[in-house]
Amino acid sequence: MDPILVLDKVSYQYPRSPQLVLRDISLQVGRGEFLGLIGPTGAGKSTLCLALNGIVPQFYGGRFFGRVAVAGLDSLEHPVSEMARHVGSVFQDPETQLISTSVENEIAFALENLCVPSEEIKARIPRVLAAVRLEGMERKHPHELSGGQKQRLAIAAALAMQPDLLVLDEPTSQLDPLGAQEVFAVVHELNRELGMTIVMASHAAEEMAEHADRVALLSAGRLVRIGTPAEVYGHPELLEERTLRPPQVARTFYLMQQRGVLVRDIPVRLRPALDALDTLSRDCRIDPPTTQQPPTQSGGALLSIRNLEYVYPDGTEALRDVSLDVGRGEYVLIVGQNGAGKTTLVKHFLGLLQPTSGTVAVGGTDVRQLSVSELARSIGYVAQNPNDQIFNSTVGDEVAFALRNLRCPLNEVEERTLAGLQAMGLVEQRHQHPLSLPQGDRTRIVIAAILAMRPEVLILDEPTTGQDFQGARFILDISRRLHQTGKTILVITHHLYLMPDYAGRVIVMGKGTILLDAPIRTAYHQVDLLRSTFLDPPQAVLLARHLSERVGQDIPLLTPREVADCVVCDSPEVQAP
Amino acid sequence: MSKLGLQSVGRQSLFTRLDFRSKLVMVAVISILAFVWESPIAGTALALSVITACLLAGVKWSYLKWVIQLTMPFFILLILTHGFWNTTQVKLLTSREVLRPLFTVPRNWWLIGGASMSVEGVLYAINVISKMLTLVLVVPLAVFTTDLNNMIVAMVRARLPYKLVFIFSSTLRFFPLLFEEVQSIVEAQRLRGLAVEKMGPLQRVRVYARVAVPLILGAMARSQQLEVVLQSRAFTGSPDRTYLHQSTLQSVDYAVMALSAILLVLAAALYVGWGVGKFSWLL
Repeated sequence: MDPILVLDKVSYQYPRSPQLVLRDISLQVGRGEFLGLIGPTGAGKSTLCLALNGIVPQFYGGRFFGRVAVAGLDSLEHPVSEMARHVGSVFQDPETQLISTSVENEIAFALENLCVPSEEIKARIPRVLAAVRLEGMERKHPHELSGGQKQRLAIAAALAMQPDLLVLDEPTSQLDPLGAQEVFAVVHELNRELGMTIVMASHAAEEMAEHADRVALLSAGRLVRIGTPAEVYGHPELLEERTLRPPQVARTFYLMQQRGVLVRDIPVRLRPALDALDTLSRDCRIDPPTTQQPPTQSGGALLSIRNLEYVYPDGTEALRDVSLDVGRGEYVLIVGQNGAGKTTLVKHFLGLLQPTSGTVAVGGTDVRQLSVSELARSIGYVAQNPNDQIFNSTVGDEVAFALRNLRCPLNEVEERTLAGLQAMGLVEQRHQHPLSLPQGDRTRIVIAAILAMRPEVLILDEPTTGQDFQGARFILDISRRLHQTGKTILVITHHLYLMPDYAGRVIVMGKGTILLDAPIRTAYHQVDLLRSTFLDPPQAVLLARHLSERVGQDIPLLTPREVADCVVCDSPEVQAP
Repeated sequence: MSKLGLQSVGRQSLFTRLDFRSKLVMVAVISILAFVWESPIAGTALALSVITACLLAGVKWSYLKWVIQLTMPFFILLILTHGFWNTTQVKLLTSREVLRPLFTVPRNWWLIGGASMSVEGVLYAINVISKMLTLVLVVPLAVFTTDLNNMIVAMVRARLPYKLVFIFSSTLRFFPLLFEEVQSIVEAQRLRGLAVEKMGPLQRVRVYARVAVPLILGAMARSQQLEVVLQSRAFTGSPDRTYLHQSTLQSVDYAVMALSAILLVLAAALYVGWGVGKFSWLL
């Protein structure tokens, strides 16, 4: 292997950090290789990415040990501006990393800094735009691009420098499924067709297993394991003890293994998993468990929409002919592509938008008769970015803010604030500034602040975006506890694999209309419909569909455990390939 | 994009064809005239000319109306303060001992009973208002008719320091994001029971003041991320760099700059020689 990247015993400590963030990491990446970096939040993935072009330690300072070399250049001996020629970087946030006011200027920016002649810049722009499938968008403002297009533009800007190595730090974590698919497709093409060396940090287990040549698992700054996707993801216990999520196919076959089915090699990609399932379904009994549909809503509709149409002031038709009832105590999942109208829909319940035509009622009252603040007493809304919902100087004040607006007596404010803090495990942080706490804690602060109003309905809009698996589960577990106390829950998310344990009903939206409104077991198995709106069903559902076709019986399973449980091998000799 | 964001006109005109440097010269001359002229007639004519030019260039009337509506409270305040109380300066400018009363407040009114609004005071207020309007509206005339990239290159060619130009372009890039953040935070406050719609102006100001801290902290976090991005794009702040776009002055640019200079000289001569543009001109 001809290594383009060499890390030799790299350790690093940020200036004000009490401990090392990277610990004794040694690895090599060959030219043309795709290395995936995985690990829980705080494992050191982003710091490692920043070390590859010298930003760590040259920009941040701190204590750095060991050696990083890219194309033979030591990251300590060459300035970042020189390292930038060899290492292209793409970051997590699509908004912050685009600095120019047009697509072509964004690509040109680094080249201008490197004093590349304008003729050469003009020649490179169409080439890199073609590589990321953004042809013809030269004059567009980054503001006009979708999230996926923005990330592809950032990749194009990095590619324009013709680097030896492309480093991507969680480039899809803030994107919708279509955007994520676009980015993975482009990165895959660059790697396979142009031979670009890739280092990519990501929580997207299924995609990493599909595209990476090797995967490096980081935990608490250490390199715990490095190997092919099968060598890393094929050991779900290794990942789960570090609160990471393996691909669903790997978890499914791991659970089968635990139940005594002899699975020689746990598949980590979908195609081999389907082949293995074929073998098992031939030699074993498929005994699907009896599945129960969630109980249908009792009582009248709490939220009701009739023939809703909404047109934005610029003329964009966001919703058309939407009719919907949500009953008291339901847990509803709303899914769909960005621009499908999900957030526009729920903003009507909150009074933030008024229907162009049609009616929206909450508890039987037309929302036109209620102000936003009045509606907020019965409907709590947690938006995606907690930072935009925090505006007080202590955690306690943040939670108490709504109660003061509701003119609650002082002792009640104190009592409900304390209850909210306790429910979210934030009592110890009550005197701290909310923005001094980690992102996960900030989301909990916002939820505590909303819950203090004791709303009957809670709407969570993309609560899992930007969270790792543990963080996402933590928030959803809160929603389940609230649901169990009788609250009505609406969740908007792109992460379908997270929701079978929580939601009972799914509303699929596309192009401003409701494409499907069905119980989760029905909705998740409408594979073609979901794919038509760029939603990929969880791998466990695809395995269940495959089994259904094999045995000629509908098997509406949703989770790896359900699929694993329905394969019963009486003979211990039976082996999956 | 919000009204506070950068807009661009959809129509091709003389203004869109001009180089930003020639527009800067034109803006400078118009601004000097607006500052110097005290005549409400000349000032109003100048403001109306700028409004007409804006409309001809394709700046939307809805935008102009929004600007005028936004500044209207200040204009009313100016008319009241100058009309009632700016007597000394106006007497000096008109060389009159007594000002012509427009109307007088009845004597039995509390605090302001007996106060008289003068014709000259109101005319002076009109002059100040026209100055403000000219200065405010000449900016979109130049900025909205210029492609931002050309603006940046033109500023560099005009020998402005590159770091300054970069700060300017970054501000234009990130300002809409900042404005969206403000809206999100105010929305979050409303969703926590804050009845903004029932508040008076002072209470609303307090709501916006509360937005400042998270906004500044957010901007600081973003600026650090931005620094990392800039480093990874080989940015050093050095003016020693190349540019994708070039900026060259055409004959029409030279013509506009020459006409602007002639207008300035002519206005200065008329002002000094014949009092054209002075407060008392044609009054």
